[in-house]
Amino acid sequence: MSNNVTYLLIMLSKLVGRPNAMIEVKELYHRYGKDSDFVLANLNFTIKRGEFVFIVGPSGAGKSTLLKLFIREIVPSQGSISILGQDLGTMPPKQIPYLRRSIGMVFQDFRLLEDRTAFDNIAFVLRVTGASAGEITRRTSHVLDLVGLAHKAYARVCDLSGGEQQRIGLARAIANRPALIIADEPTGNLDPDTSLEIMSLLRQINLRGTTIVVATHNREIVDRFQKRVIHLEDGRIASDEQKGVYARAL
Amino acid sequence: MPCNGFTYAWGEAFKSLYRNRWMSIASVGVVVVTLLMLGTFMMVSLNLAHITATVKGQVEIVVYVDEKATPEQQKQLQTMLEARTDLAEIRFVSREEALERLQPELGDFLEGYDIEAENPLRDSYELRAIVPESVINIAKELEGYPAVGDVFYGQGVVEKLFNVTRGLQIVALSLMVLLSITAVFLIAHTIKLTVYIRSKEIMIMKYVGATNWFIRWPFILEGLTLGLLGAILPLFALYYIYGLAASWVTAQNIMFLSLLPVSVMMFELVKYLVPLGTGLGILGSSLSMGRFLKV
Ligand SMILES: Nc1ncnc2c1ncn2[C@@H]1O[C@H](COP(=O)(O)OP(=O)(O)OP(=O)(O)O)[C@@H](O)[C@H]1O
Ligand SMILES: [Mg+2]
Repeated sequence: MSNNVTYLLIMLSKLVGRPNAMIEVKELYHRYGKDSDFVLANLNFTIKRGEFVFIVGPSGAGKSTLLKLFIREIVPSQGSISILGQDLGTMPPKQIPYLRRSIGMVFQDFRLLEDRTAFDNIAFVLRVTGASAGEITRRTSHVLDLVGLAHKAYARVCDLSGGEQQRIGLARAIANRPALIIADEPTGNLDPDTSLEIMSLLRQINLRGTTIVVATHNREIVDRFQKRVIHLEDGRIASDEQKGVYARAL
Repeated sequence: MPCNGFTYAWGEAFKSLYRNRWMSIASVGVVVVTLLMLGTFMMVSLNLAHITATVKGQVEIVVYVDEKATPEQQKQLQTMLEARTDLAEIRFVSREEALERLQPELGDFLEGYDIEAENPLRDSYELRAIVPESVINIAKELEGYPAVGDVFYGQGVVEKLFNVTRGLQIVALSLMVLLSITAVFLIAHTIKLTVYIRSKEIMIMKYVGATNWFIRWPFILEGLTLGLLGAILPLFALYYIYGLAASWVTAQNIMFLSLLPVSVMMFELVKYLVPLGTGLGILGSSLSMGRFLKV
């Protein structure tokens, strides 16, 4: 009996001790090259565990740049970014692969290996982490099932429709059970109905506790989902609202 | 690298070799041709060294004692020869011994002559220099010794042979260096093309958290395989060619001229071509990857 209480206390303290912030951005500035203008300027915000956040704004506002900073594809010119309490600025290069294993990426152009099967594309990322063959088969079948494509497992990606390809992209992103999913215009190449399907899948994944950050131009979906919306304009945060809408309130 | 990572890397290397099989074949072909030429030059060069060594070893100075020399003078000559420190061997050949040596070759030719009584040959000393290249200088000095009639050392022939072999060895060596450099560049280029073809895969691997070594291994193994294949195939060809050449040379029965035994030659070729091929492969793939692995 007392053992159970101790266990409960330990679990509770672990929960409390876990950093509540998924992403913490402080006084972030970024520019490509020493003499060019700042593409992002003085950004400060926090994204909590389990949040679903849209990043919107006109073309060239800096959405993709911000997402690239999150996965340490680029290093900020000034300021700091922390993911799960880890400062990306001071992170040694050897740690970067392990950071990326805790983040799932989804791209506008899918970035799948077209000449391979759906199954291979997902198994591919699990192999990178050194998973066993049995584990790979189990996880791959599971995530294909989650995105509703179990029946297309052995179809080559180039034979699939755009919407199906993006679902493979989603399945790949969640294969490693990441704490965070970052999607850069995941519906940019899809028709409205398919776009809604993909975003709904993302919302389902979010309901299981995964934090989701989506950069998008899809006004209809942003307005419909009623999630947090960070509005970037010219590299600055123009608005940041819970249950926000695509068009910024003036 | 864990065990399943090892299998993965080899698997990927072979998959990639197969997927780009035409390019793999082409690049192995180029390595084969390069190492074949390299091997041929090695065969020629090693045999030149071998023949030169043989000939050098066989070059003797023969000092003929002057017919008019008195036994005292001849004794003096022998003392002086023995005093020299640059001679490896001094052998006295009496005129009788010289005649005996000739007998089998002359055969019945001199039937009827009493050559024992009218021996036209002279006493001689057969000398061997410690340093073969000094033969010419030693011979010149010996000409001034007392009781010396003539000095023979294969004048001109020896000098020319030394010069020709040294020249050929320099040419062969330069060609070997040039061909090695060419091979490295060709392998690097081939791997660069494979890396380029797989650049999307590499990009995705980086996004999903593959370590640099995880990405690198398949390419290194691919380069190694190309280099190794490129070394092993010409070894078979060279083995065949060398067998032909060796038996041809033996059939010609030229004095001084014998080639290194096949086993010795193959040992030398394996010793150099296999590490060279794999080394070139690994070097080539390492050279071609750096840029693609920047985050
Ligand atoms: N690699 C780069 N080098 C130099 N400048 C760049 C680079 N990438 C982006 N930029 C510049 O940074 C600014 C922001 O680009 P970014 O791609 O982040 O915008 P975005 O909000 O994603 O736009 P879009 O909606 O069109 O995708 C633009 O002015 C762009 O030209
Ligand atoms: Mg963008």
